[in-house]
Amino acid sequence: MANNIAAQRIQREFKEVIKSDEVAKCAIRVELVNDNYTELKGEIAGPPDTPYEGGNFVLEIKVPETYPFNPPKVRFITKIWHPNISSVTGAICLDILRDQWAAAMTLRTVLLSLQALMAAAEPDDPQDAVVAKQYKDDQEMFRLTAKHWTAKYAGGPGGNPDFEMKIRRLTDMGVEEDQARVALSSYNWDLERATEQLFS
Amino acid sequence: MADYFEEMGWQPLADGEAPDSLLHFARLLMDFGMFDVLGEDKKLPPPAAKEAVKNLEEKKCSDADEKCTICLKEYTAGEIVKILPCKHDFHPACILPWLEKTNSCPVCRHELPTDDENYEQYRKEKIRAKQREAEIENLHNSMFS
Ligand SMILES: [Zn+2]
Ligand SMILES: [Zn+2]
Repeated sequence: MANNIAAQRIQREFKEVIKSDEVAKCAIRVELVNDNYTELKGEIAGPPDTPYEGGNFVLEIKVPETYPFNPPKVRFITKIWHPNISSVTGAICLDILRDQWAAAMTLRTVLLSLQALMAAAEPDDPQDAVVAKQYKDDQEMFRLTAKHWTAKYAGGPGGNPDFEMKIRRLTDMGVEEDQARVALSSYNWDLERATEQLFS
Repeated sequence: MADYFEEMGWQPLADGEAPDSLLHFARLLMDFGMFDVLGEDKKLPPPAAKEAVKNLEEKKCSDADEKCTICLKEYTAGEIVKILPCKHDFHPACILPWLEKTNSCPVCRHELPTDDENYEQYRKEKIRAKQREAEIENLHNSMFS
């Protein structure tokens, strides 16, 4: 495996990403997970002036044997509240990871495209319908929720005492914390409706 | 009337010929991006035409030439590379498998012809639709400016 096209190409890309300006600015990073270059760990800094600012988002990158003829399989390991990323599985809806992939694209292109997606969501092509609906209906609610998730899961700044209190009310009733956060986020932090959904 | 159909790229059905509803359905799916739902690779355009691949330009690299954007290796002097109509060049061993998969340049997405009749028909219609749009725009501008 270590000698095929995919592995050789990843080795070269590695140098490219490591040399690039974005790394110097701490915006993107790639690390090897195993020796045969089939699995990597990516990291993206949350773009400035977004609810993700200050957070560090970890990605799972799987390189298929047919790379670069087929795109890498990428998903968010860090939980994130974003219309084009599943809040449950981290699966991503991005055209270049599907039919718009081209062999000349690299891991660097992928990471920078994901960073751009974080800065400008495409709610009309959602991965997570609940998040997309909130994004369209109530921008401020979306912003606060996404910022809360960034603080909680990605090491971002600022807490939200009101949200924390509501989560505690649910965990006191025996609900698991992540589950409580998803339910509350999905119901615009309406404690009553979230409770109803969890116990129905 | 005949001219109108010709202009639209439509051919009248011959006696006893039925409309190709599968083709129409495929177009509908493409227009709405439905191939995504049906499977990962389904939405990629078909492979480049065998003839077009066979006739690709070639050149011998000099020292000054850069690298192949598929494998990211630098070209060595004297190496033969394939050149697409858009002037992007690649190692034969790198570009040929890609063109067997889909018909566009991996750098700029310039499309080569394909051997897939349905796709070629679909593409022709897309180009015509664009032209019509431009014509209407021109007409509009000349009328209201
Ligand atoms: Zn090459
Ligand atoms: Zn090109």
